[in-house]
Amino acid sequence: MSDFREYLSYRRDHLLEQTLEHAQLVLYAIATATVVSVLIAVLVYRRERVAAVALAAVGALFTVPSLALFALMIPIFGLGFRPAFIALTVYALLPILRNTIVGLRSVDSAVIESAQGMGMNRLRRLVKIELPLAWPVIITGMRVSTVMTVGIAAIAAYINGPGLGGDMLEGLARIGAPVALHMVLASILLVVALALLFDLVYLALGKLTTPKGIT
Amino acid sequence: MTAGATSNGDSRALIRLENLSKRFPGQKQNAIDNLSLDIPEGEIVILVGPSGSGKTTTLRMINRLIEPTSGRIFLEGEDVTSVNGDKLRRRMGYVIQQIGLFPHMTIETNIATVPRMLGWDTKRIRTRVRELLDLVGMDPEVYAKRYPKELSGGQRQRVGVARALAADPPVLLMDEPFSAIDPITRARLQNEFLQLQTKIRKTIVFVTHDIDEAIKMGDRIAILDESSHVAQYDTPSTILAAPANAFVEDFIGAGASLKRLNLTHVADVHLLDWPTMPVSAERDSVRAALLRSDKGSVLLVDDARRPQRWVNAMDLEHGSIPLAESGLEAPVMQRTATLYDALNEMLNSLQGATAVVDENGAFCGVIDIETVAAAIRKMREEARLVYRGEGGSPREPALAGAERGGDGDVRGGSDFGGAAPGGGDDFGAAAAGGGDA
Ligand SMILES: Nc1ncnc2c1ncn2[C@@H]1O[C@H](COP(=O)(O)OP(=O)(O)OP(=O)(O)O)[C@@H](O)[C@H]1O
Ligand SMILES: [Mg+2]
Repeated sequence: MSDFREYLSYRRDHLLEQTLEHAQLVLYAIATATVVSVLIAVLVYRRERVAAVALAAVGALFTVPSLALFALMIPIFGLGFRPAFIALTVYALLPILRNTIVGLRSVDSAVIESAQGMGMNRLRRLVKIELPLAWPVIITGMRVSTVMTVGIAAIAAYINGPGLGGDMLEGLARIGAPVALHMVLASILLVVALALLFDLVYLALGKLTTPKGIT
Repeated sequence: MTAGATSNGDSRALIRLENLSKRFPGQKQNAIDNLSLDIPEGEIVILVGPSGSGKTTTLRMINRLIEPTSGRIFLEGEDVTSVNGDKLRRRMGYVIQQIGLFPHMTIETNIATVPRMLGWDTKRIRTRVRELLDLVGMDPEVYAKRYPKELSGGQRQRVGVARALAADPPVLLMDEPFSAIDPITRARLQNEFLQLQTKIRKTIVFVTHDIDEAIKMGDRIAILDESSHVAQYDTPSTILAAPANAFVEDFIGAGASLKRLNLTHVADVHLLDWPTMPVSAERDSVRAALLRSDKGSVLLVDDARRPQRWVNAMDLEHGSIPLAESGLEAPVMQRTATLYDALNEMLNSLQGATAVVDENGAFCGVIDIETVAAAIRKMREEARLVYRGEGGSPREPALAGAERGGDGDVRGGSDFGGAAPGGGDDFGAAAAGGGDA
């Protein structure tokens, strides 16, 4: 155990760097996925059929095993950050898209009718009324996607992606060697810690950004 | 049949619906079928009818939330059938049963919605919001910064009205605005709203399925049959006195005369003279007064002419009882009460007549059952006459004119028992007409 602690302090800078890279990869993916999901949701949420098709398509992508998806990225985007980022974005879509659609649909129809009745056009209704009211549900989707993506991002190391996956893979490959187990343990620990941290941040963010009248 | 569906030109039609029809996709029948209606400026026009008759659809076609399949809509003389719908809607306030306040915005921001869209400056909006909250009886200091969930149902509905009035639109469209509110608060909101209307004089189209609310609130009522066919379009008094057909009669239900009694005030009918004597008078002079009169009793009044006791010849025989305790107690009726109240009072007190007093409580005459009955007969006859001869003769029966004459206060009086023939228990509601905390 003291060995492990020693390892941690010895590799501190390296681990910190990997963790930050990991977090950065996740955040980029989530930000992109959120923009894409909200755009898709806004286009489809009023049309039952189209929405079902969009959800089914994104859902299908979601079910592709992560390792396979990363592998599929190689011929198109090569190795490194880019394919990792794109694959993670694809994974992150489903929870956010689904929640955004649900959130937009659950806005009280009387609220929409009164907005319409006062002469708010579609865009204005969307921006001023529907998205703010759907926001708590959207951010919950983002939270689920984020926590999930933190885990999957570790696998991005297979295609030379950044983050904590690198140490994990290396350690696993050299298991039995002196610090191999420490490498694996440390990266797992940090992935879990990062997931928990994100979760807490989202909780706080959700509280802070939810309009006062709907808490 | 659809008499009066278009105006006689005496008052300007602010909204005119011309051969309006709506067929929803996939339906065989028109939901609204060839509806023509003139809505005069500054009046409350009620659309009333059974569920599914197309009231909501009609209302939503006026602001084009639903696009008509055919027909035309005119607002202030302008054909608005195909102008920009969003811009049109900013010229019409819209209030619905569920209110639909924006839950994530403060009351202030809610009310400011349309002015903001119209690009008013912040200061003007602020002033206007405060003014409107005052107008609907809510203290801006207390409520401006609150959120909708922090208000009672009645307060929310007031904010809904304030929000609809924000940019001072000429028209207010209201779809069952008070239906979801408990009866006591509803009566209060109705009274307040009528009071408000005397100040703002908007052209209001008001949907309800409640005929009593229609009678109470409406300057005119359009009774809609299926597919928004206008069964009758007239003043409440004419509709009550002379229903155009069996459908209307059915819709008004039993007790049309009773409902109608709410439209007329004690002050509007001829009161009977009655012999009075001071309660301090000598027994013999009372007896003499009784003999001089053709009535069977004398009303004893105090120094301020306030009615005290009814005494007849038999009461006067009992020499041992002081006059102030002889006979029967004399219940009184305010002149501002309606005939409905008067009848109710007589039935409750089991006396065929009741003394009427003025604001100071001084005696000004007697109303009896026969007077009420005669008033009912007269109303019916006059209304029928006008109704038949609608061609050139004055449009409204004399009594309807009287009803209109006093504006808010006349109708304010009809609050009592406006809805329930239970009469008495509505007093509380009307009396509580202040604000709700
Ligand atoms: N969006 C719609 N699509 C299809 N049919 C509709 C639609 N809106 C209303 N209808 C139909 O049009 C008719 C009139 O409906 P509307 O809502 O106007 O009635 P209403 O008089 O307001 O009834 P209520 O008193 O129950 O509110 C009904 O038969 C209804 O089913
Ligand atoms: Mg309706």
